[in-house]
Amino acid sequence: MSYVELHAHSAFSFLDGASSPDELALRAAELGYRELALTDHDGIWGSMEFASACHAQGVRPITGAEVTVAEAAGSAVVAPGFRGNCPPGAFHLTLLVADATGYRNLCRLLTKAHSGTREATEPLPPLVSLADVERHAGGIVCLSGCARDGALAGRIARGDNGGAERLGRRLLAAFGRDRFRVELQVPLWRGDRTRNRRLAGLAATLGIPCVATGDVHAHDRDRIPLQDTLVAVRLGGTLESTEPERRGNGAATLVAPARAAERFRDHPEAVTETARLADRLRFDLTTDLGYSYPGAEDGSADRRLAEACRARFGERYDGKPKRAEAERRLEQELGLIAKLKLSGFFLLHRDLLELAREVAVEVRGPDSARSLLPPGRGRGSSVSSVVCYLTGLSHVDPVEAGLFLGRFLNEEITEAPDIDLDFPRDVRERLIPRIHERYGSDRSALVAAFPTYRAKGAIRDFGKALGLPPGEIERAARSAGHHERAELGGDGTRRQALRKLLDDAYGLPRHPSQHPGGMVLSTQPLTDLCPVVPAAMEGRQIAQWDKDSCADAGFLKIDLLGLGMLSAVERAVTEIARVRGERIDLSRIPLDDPEVYRRIRAAETTGVFQIESRAQMQMLPRSRPENIDDLTVQVAIVRPGPIQGGAVHPYLERRKRLREDPGYEVPYEHPCLEPILADTLGAIVFQDQVIQVAMALAGFSSGEAEGLRRAMSRKRSERAMQAHRERFVEGAIARGVDPGVAEGVFGQIHGFSGFGFPKSHATAFGLLAYQSTWLRVHYAPEFLCSLLNEQPMGFYPPDALVHEAQRRGIEVRPPDVNASAVLCEVERTEDRGQRTDADAGLAVRIGLGYVKGLSERDAGAVVAERERGGDYRDLGDLASRSGAGRDGLERLAWAGACGGLGGGDRRRVPLWRLGAANGSRDGQLSLPLPLPEAPSLAEQTPWQRLTADYGAYGIALEEHPLSLLRSDLDPATVTCATLERIRDGAGLEVAGLLVARQRPATARGVMFLLIEDETGVANVIVLPPVYERHRLTVRTASLVTVTGRLERREGVINVVASAVRPIERPDVPLADVHTIEPSRARETGRDGGHEISDLDAVLPVAHSFGRRGR
Amino acid sequence: MSRPANPYAPREVAVAVGAGRPQSVAGRDVEAVREQWLVEDRWWSEAPLRRHYLEVVLAGGRCAVVYRDLGTGRWYEQR
Repeated sequence: MSYVELHAHSAFSFLDGASSPDELALRAAELGYRELALTDHDGIWGSMEFASACHAQGVRPITGAEVTVAEAAGSAVVAPGFRGNCPPGAFHLTLLVADATGYRNLCRLLTKAHSGTREATEPLPPLVSLADVERHAGGIVCLSGCARDGALAGRIARGDNGGAERLGRRLLAAFGRDRFRVELQVPLWRGDRTRNRRLAGLAATLGIPCVATGDVHAHDRDRIPLQDTLVAVRLGGTLESTEPERRGNGAATLVAPARAAERFRDHPEAVTETARLADRLRFDLTTDLGYSYPGAEDGSADRRLAEACRARFGERYDGKPKRAEAERRLEQELGLIAKLKLSGFFLLHRDLLELAREVAVEVRGPDSARSLLPPGRGRGSSVSSVVCYLTGLSHVDPVEAGLFLGRFLNEEITEAPDIDLDFPRDVRERLIPRIHERYGSDRSALVAAFPTYRAKGAIRDFGKALGLPPGEIERAARSAGHHERAELGGDGTRRQALRKLLDDAYGLPRHPSQHPGGMVLSTQPLTDLCPVVPAAMEGRQIAQWDKDSCADAGFLKIDLLGLGMLSAVERAVTEIARVRGERIDLSRIPLDDPEVYRRIRAAETTGVFQIESRAQMQMLPRSRPENIDDLTVQVAIVRPGPIQGGAVHPYLERRKRLREDPGYEVPYEHPCLEPILADTLGAIVFQDQVIQVAMALAGFSSGEAEGLRRAMSRKRSERAMQAHRERFVEGAIARGVDPGVAEGVFGQIHGFSGFGFPKSHATAFGLLAYQSTWLRVHYAPEFLCSLLNEQPMGFYPPDALVHEAQRRGIEVRPPDVNASAVLCEVERTEDRGQRTDADAGLAVRIGLGYVKGLSERDAGAVVAERERGGDYRDLGDLASRSGAGRDGLERLAWAGACGGLGGGDRRRVPLWRLGAANGSRDGQLSLPLPLPEAPSLAEQTPWQRLTADYGAYGIALEEHPLSLLRSDLDPATVTCATLERIRDGAGLEVAGLLVARQRPATARGVMFLLIEDETGVANVIVLPPVYERHRLTVRTASLVTVTGRLERREGVINVVASAVRPIERPDVPLADVHTIEPSRARETGRDGGHEISDLDAVLPVAHSFGRRGR
Repeated sequence: MSRPANPYAPREVAVAVGAGRPQSVAGRDVEAVREQWLVEDRWWSEAPLRRHYLEVVLAGGRCAVVYRDLGTGRWYEQR
């Protein structure tokens, strides 16, 4: 008697299922299942991943869902924020897809279930009416639902036998005798036999068979604690308090078919029916979807695409030396595109770009400096296509840049290629709804993304469910890295349980979300292909599949990515035009500016694109980029792929050897690799090199090589990689390659698996890195200003960007109601000082938008009224004219922005006068009444000003915290600037504000810190034993002292830490006494023992970077 | 003052098992097994629960609920 499991939940039954589709598929194969159904709650989010995983394991996937249904309108009580599985009055049905019609109906039904779920402030639970189910019954097999909430079981449990029969007859009428079954389950609860006996009796009355199911929620018993915990998390309670709603035992586990059948020994016919039914459920998502992308059916597409390319060809290539080569390449590409029937696909992208151009004009205005810029830029492998270049999809000439097409297009591709387009954020925001408008809201949707459980969030969720003390949970969560697996101390059963839960949940999807920019388009309604649900953001909708599933489905996917640096570059160009009257066309700036490369080689790259990170800055003085090609390699090499593939050291070493001896011959593992790896000096740096290496060394076809690349980029693909290894080594040996060399090269490829850029992508990014450095070098104030306005972005918080700029001599001024705009702006200063350079006489003014807690409306009102009626004369004038509320005025006063409106301390006096004028908290100060004068108030000390600056707008403009703390530090503590003069290996102590901490997955547990003092920044390396000893300080402190030794390698300086300590309260009065006239406080401006903790509360939070990906 | 004993507390009982089911409870023959269920809970605590419950009909018609503690293998009658 063979049993097929027809009712199983994965982790895509969010906060209910405890196993991934992969785990279910693998376990099913191990247990000997030949078929398995996935029936997640109200969705098929994981169905494509499940189908692919099943095929890989030799298991036939069955698509389905457990749908929540209301018998009639109003019969279910749906409340916003409801967290249970089934709202009161509703019931569950298990729907299984038999054929393509059934799949279409299921998608429509699930779309319907989610429509309207975002209309309240909190999401509503998905729900369909029974009438909807009846309308979409075709091609679907309906099972009567689970033991607790099932349509019939629920009624029978309540003793409503008549209601159960009535509902059963209605479902029978809708689905027919062949496609409706009474579902029996044995969850090992009290009452199983009675319930199943009654259900079987009802089935007999209806004249239909019963079918057995397991209501699986985990692939293995080991996951049951996680399943319990997820339910507690979903319900917002503890494990104790959610006992009634939890399953209460481990029966909801996938078990061997014979064992599952044994549970139904009273109903053997229900077991037989599982296999009979499964045999009829033949729809296969991986082959039967029937999608064709828009334009695929257009017979004139080939001709129109060729015309569009040829129309631009002359403009791009006339007079260029590589014209003939470009012409050959164009003909070759057009031929390939036509053969692959992709002309419509390219035309559609061009159409999208035209739409983007229209949107860009609306956003930027037709006459702005930004109008010179293209609406977006290509990134990714599409940059390697001359067709993309000629149709405006890419701004890089692939012929000139020597880009390889194969990664993007080859004769064996099985899915539409990706075209990624980067847009400034504002253009992108407007473009997405316009695409919905243009192609129809039922034909376009954003791609889903699934945030996965990570250490911090999981500790908080699970710790609460386990009932651990809140303080302990928070401490543990803070000490855990953002992207790392939790390493949690402590004994006791609950702590041990927490550790196990964290491990089990790692990487499982927690809830659905939207991908930052991936969209799918379709000519047939998308809702026939994949359910579409409303996104949290109004006017947007998401498909239920993530980008991998959409790619597996062959969907036309476009990535509209909002790239902060593109926005920043546009802002800078606009600001330069406003301040200096110069119109910059970034596409025409020289790409060989020696000053730009000099600064890059000196790692003076704070704030620029890509090459500003700590790791990049460490490498730049060693790799010494000299041209745009070097920069292309540079942005690509500091990635997990090349790092793990061992590309970095050979590349740096060979560059050094070449600098010393231009006649140096770069060694290659095999002569056939020389033409492929020449640009990267024998190292594998780009993704496309993997493809080329596999083809040249092991004789892979282009399709096989692309399969290898995909296996490398997919999660959990170890098994697939192993198959490729065998094929690779065999292929290489057959071509006369030494087996050792073949293994070695594959080892590099395998190491590369983490993540790498295709060369085309690196070319686009390298160009933006150059352009942003060029702006930083030649228009420093405007560039800084644009970075401050585009936050959050990049590696450094605004405070660090400003300090670095100040060290370069750029003046940054505080917010001021009579000078600031809402955004930061560059302003002319009276005083040019001694300077004669182009930036002299320019300063950056912090915008009112930076004032924390000040509403956008208040900030805008203050600026608009000043522009209309002139500067504010005094505080009373500001209060009466600006329209800002009391709260807003106080926040401006606290930020020091009213300091120019009257004598005395720039914060205390305006605050006192505003407070005296109106005692009530919410009052409007709208009458032009003179405000009372303030009494004589003491000036703030430097320390108080610093704390207030950080608290009010997050940037310390006047003094660095370290300069105020310096006198309290051990006199032997060195400054960051003096590190340059200290010999290699010397022991030292250095102190600073933590700017960034990074623990990359590739660094085997090493933590990198960037600390900043009043003189500059220092890199600190914290090795694992030191990290473990000082974990809490490293993860949570803002001001630290580092003890260690200096390490100097090729001009790069690091401090290798032996200890990291928080800067403790110095030896000043510890009692809660504010010293009135402390001699020491006069010098340092510190007036008591609480300043560090006060400051800690407002200091900018260091940026943390770490492991990403599942 | 000591608390009064819980009259509903499970009481250890002798159960004879054969052919995969209880044959007698405290010397009385088991006529039928009406229901059986499993409780596995409190795994996060110092006292995890793992119990296989059976509702049985004893000779003479009385119903009894017994469980086997899956940790210790002992049988209890639940009142």
